[in-house]
Parts: sequence; C-alpha cells; structure tokens
Amino acid sequence: MNTLLHFLSTIRWQDIVDITLNSYILFRLYVLFRGTNVFRVLVGMAFLWFFQRIAVSIGLIVTSWAVQGITAVAALIIIVVFRNEIRSVLQAKNLGAILWGFSHKTVSSPIEIVVDSVYELARRRNGALIVFPGKENLEEMVQSGIRWRGLVSKEMIMSIFWHDNPVHDGAAIIQGNQVIEVGVILPLSNRTDLPSHYGTRHRAAAGLSEATDALVIVVSEERGNVLVAKGSHVSVVNRKEELAQILHEHVGVTATQWGYLRKERLGLGIAVVGSILFITGVWFSFTRGLETLTTFEIPIEYMNRDPGMEILDTSVNAVRLHLSGSGALIKSMGPEQVRVRLDLSKAVVGPNTFTITPENVDLPPGVFVKRVEPPVLEVTLDIPIKREVPIQVDWVGKLPEHLILVKAKLDPEKIEVIGGTGQLKDISTIYTQKVPIDHIKKTGAITVNLALHPASLKIAPDSEDKIAVRYVVKERL
Amino acid sequence: MSSISCRICKKLSIFLFVLLCIDFFLSSQALPQNNGNPLSTPVSKKLTLVEAAMCEGIKEYIPQNEAIVFSMTIGKVSCFTSFDPVPEKTFIYHNWFFRDKLSTRIKLSLQPPCWSTFSSIQLREADKGPWRVEVIDQKGNVFDTIRFSITD
Repeated sequence: MNTLLHFLSTIRWQDIVDITLNSYILFRLYVLFRGTNVFRVLVGMAFLWFFQRIAVSIGLIVTSWAVQGITAVAALIIIVVFRNEIRSVLQAKNLGAILWGFSHKTVSSPIEIVVDSVYELARRRNGALIVFPGKENLEEMVQSGIRWRGLVSKEMIMSIFWHDNPVHDGAAIIQGNQVIEVGVILPLSNRTDLPSHYGTRHRAAAGLSEATDALVIVVSEERGNVLVAKGSHVSVVNRKEELAQILHEHVGVTATQWGYLRKERLGLGIAVVGSILFITGVWFSFTRGLETLTTFEIPIEYMNRDPGMEILDTSVNAVRLHLSGSGALIKSMGPEQVRVRLDLSKAVVGPNTFTITPENVDLPPGVFVKRVEPPVLEVTLDIPIKREVPIQVDWVGKLPEHLILVKAKLDPEKIEVIGGTGQLKDISTIYTQKVPIDHIKKTGAITVNLALHPASLKIAPDSEDKIAVRYVVKERL
Repeated sequence: MSSISCRICKKLSIFLFVLLCIDFFLSSQALPQNNGNPLSTPVSKKLTLVEAAMCEGIKEYIPQNEAIVFSMTIGKVSCFTSFDPVPEKTFIYHNWFFRDKLSTRIKLSLQPPCWSTFSSIQLREADKGPWRVEVIDQKGNVFDTIRFSITD
C-alpha cells in the first residue's frame, strides 16, 4: 500500500497529460486508419517491434538486427507504398474529423438497396413483386420459382423486373442479403374488399401476406406507387424511410443494427483501453525503467549580458553534468539535447560567482541532474575600452659575443588595443612575439607580430597588427 | 619713535646678511658637477633629464656599452641618467619593471646644478625577458622610459 502511495506521489500532472495526449493520438490513428491496409501494416510493424525487443532481451543477436532492419525499412515502405491511401484518409477529412470525428462504417444493408431499387422501379413504372419471408415456410404456398441465390444489388433487382426479362412477372423472394428465387407464382387473394384498380400483382401480394407471415412489396406498373402487403393489410408507402422502417421491423434488422453499433462501440472502447495501456507501458519503459547514469560535458551559454559589458574571463568554459534517468531515455539522448545557461542580467563589472543549479540546465523530460562539476564558476565581466599602449620587442636568444644591439626603432611605436577596463589598467606594454637574435650579424629590419596577452585583448580595427622593427648593431669595443 | 626705526633698520641689515651667506653656500656645492659637464648651463629652473640609457656598466661617469639587449652572462645591467639643470636638491626614482610588474624601485638623490646618477640590478636566470625602467620624480612624473631585454 505504501509502495502504491509512494508511486502515486511521484506522478506529476505533466505525466498524466503526457499519457492522455499520446493515448488520444494513438486512438485517433486507429480511428482514421482502421479498415485500411495502412492500419494492418502498422499493426504488423508493432508486432515486429515487439518481436525485436523480445529477441534483444533473450540475446538473439542476428534476429534482433534483422528485425530492426526490417522495421526501419518497413517504415519507409509504408510511406512510399501507401502514400495514396494515407493522403486519401487525410485529405478526405477536415481538421475536426481528423481530431475528433468518428466515421461510422457506412455499410449498405440489403434493405436499403431494396428500398432504393423499389422506388427506382416505381419511378420507371416497372412492376415488381418482392417477397420477404417471415418465420413461416413459403414452399407450400408458392410455385414455379427459379433458384437464383444471388447477392442483393440494385442492378440485379432492376434487371429481374425489366420488361423483357422472362421472370419479371413473377415475384422475387429475398432472404437476408440474397435473392433466393425469382419468377415465383404467388397465391391470389380471394378478398372482395380490395380496391378495384388492384391488378394481379396486388392480389398475389395480398394472397401470400394473408396466408403467411411474409411481407410483400408491390410496385404498381400503372400507378407507379409502392405498396406493402403484410397480414391482411395492403397499404401505399410513399416514403423510402417509411418502407425501410417497415422492412427493418419485419426482418428484425433493427436489433441487428443496434448489435452492429454496439459492436462498433465495443471495438472503439477496446481501442481506447488498448491505446491507454500501450502508451502507459511505453511511458513506464521510458521513465520508470532501470535508473541509468551518464555524464556529459556541456559548454556554458551566457544570456542577458549587458551589451555594454564583455565577458573577459571564466573559470571554466564547460561543466560536467552527471545525469540520471531511465535506460531508454539516457540511451536515446545526446549532448546536443542538454544546455546549460547562465543568466548574466544581474552580473556586475568584475568577477561574479554563479552556482549552477538544476534550473540552469535544460534537459529532456524524465532526465534529472545528479551532480554538476564544478558547481560554482566565476565569470569576470568588464566594460571594453580602447587604449594606446607602447610596443616592446621581446628579444630572445644570444647575440654573437662581439656585437651589441644598441637601438631598435619600431613602426608603429604604439598600438591601440581594446580590452576590459580592469584588464587594461594593469597593461602598460604590448610585447611582440619572441624575436630571436642568434642570427643577427648586422643592422637590419624585420616584421614581427604582436603577442596579445591575455588573449581576450583585441587590436583596434584601425591599428596595424604587424610591427616593423629596424635595429642597429655595432661591434663591441 | 627714533628707537623703533633704529630697531627695524637693525633687523633688515641682519636679514640681508643671512641671504648673502645662503647664496654663497649653494654656489660652492654645484661647482664640482659643473666641472664634469661644462656645456650644461641652467637656462630654466626645471629639473630636466638630458640622458638616459641602459648600459653594461659606468666608468668615470660615462655609461659603457649602451644597448637594448643584454646577455645574462654579463651579470649586471645599469640604468644611467643625467639631469641638467638640477634646480635644487631632490630625489628621483628608477622603477625597474619586468614584464609590466614592478621588480625594484631605487631612490637616487640629485644635487644642483646638474647631476648624473645610475642604478643597477644583478641578473639571474629568471630575469630573462623584456624589461623597462621608468625614471620618475618625487611626484610620479615620468621623465623617460627605457626598454631593454635580458637574454641568454
């Protein structure tokens, strides 16, 4: 119990948002791509990845490499091969549909096809007689039927009742999604209360419906209307929706439809739970795996420096960060994802001491700072100024014994340097690079470079960085 | 009234006598230096540096082997300075800097009417590198800066 409470106390609100957001993204991918080939391939890839992890964990070296390679290539193949399918899924939907819409599968049931076909026949004034059997067997009541056993389609119904079709005068029996028989002769009704304009089709429909629990649809060739005979009732149905409702009630499809919806909702529910479990699992593997330590040497970035000041010196240029996190996170991160920043907005001229805290370190989520070396650093800031300083040649070596170097003329004799106020305060001479005198035998001239120390000193843009030295030697007396 | 004016005349004559005595004393101290440098005639009353040089040694008030580079092997280097005029007895300093860091500060006295003086340092292995000597007065005014190097 304590372990559970401790675990719950370590979960941050960001973690909840993290899992929820990614679960929703995964669920939306499922909703968008379900039923497509892309989805099936994605599922296959997920299995491949899972298989690869198992191969790694049990030490199957070649298998894990092979599966890893296949997974990597498969990702590319998906994008290339299924680009049209992916595009059609994304293009066909607006942003709202992509983010939160649900596209129910639009499956045209046989009833809808029949309803469409019936009213099309009525519009064309093609007579038709369609029987939907109930629970009772019709074999004893009907005659001369021709076995058909074809799937219901609008084109098929239209062709069955086409004028030139030999079976168009008989009835077609539809059961489920199949046309069972065509050209069926139905028993005629003997009722006398039927309207006088009812023809043979109407009487046949009434005859079967009176004798059985079947429902019969009649399309009147003369009037171009649709009638439904059920039991002893024969009624005109003018609206498609009404006919569909009557048919649904007759064949019990309503319950089937509800069952379908329930099944779809169940599928979505499973997808939701699956997404949450999967993402939670991934989240745990990333964040709560075995704690791993690593060390990075990260350069320090300085920000918010007063533009009037310059960094003259720092005690260190980089710090060693000892980081901890789950193995997966630590393995996947590199030094480029880590930044150490120091705010110099409150720094003053002269040396400033800063302590590097975790707030100064930008890390990927789930990775933590264990230790910083060194934890304290000193940054020396100064206001840059320009100053003219005399130049002196730094002679080295040994002049031949018989010679004396009596004079040297420098051009220029002084140079303008830019550096910090405090820095330049202690500098009264700029020295040249070391000039060897071992080989000097007579008066001459050389050109030398300056040796700026400290290195942060700069020569003013309008000053020469090459110094011409004309020296005079004479014989020792 | 006559006794008061008599006392004032007496004090005035004593003051004039003291002034004459002081003038005679100062002129006699400047002479030996005038003999050494007969061309230097005090035109202004400002202390003026007329010569400054680094050398290997001083012989009879004259710098020997003036140079800007000195070998460690000579063991000693000197800074020779000559002032003319020297209006009054005063002090100057030879500040020896090794790589911009003050190494030694030598106080030297000057006597009117003109005076030459020098300071020296013994050379050690660690002294190799660029040096300079600043010649300054008591108030810190720099007369001259002489730059040189100590090498192998």
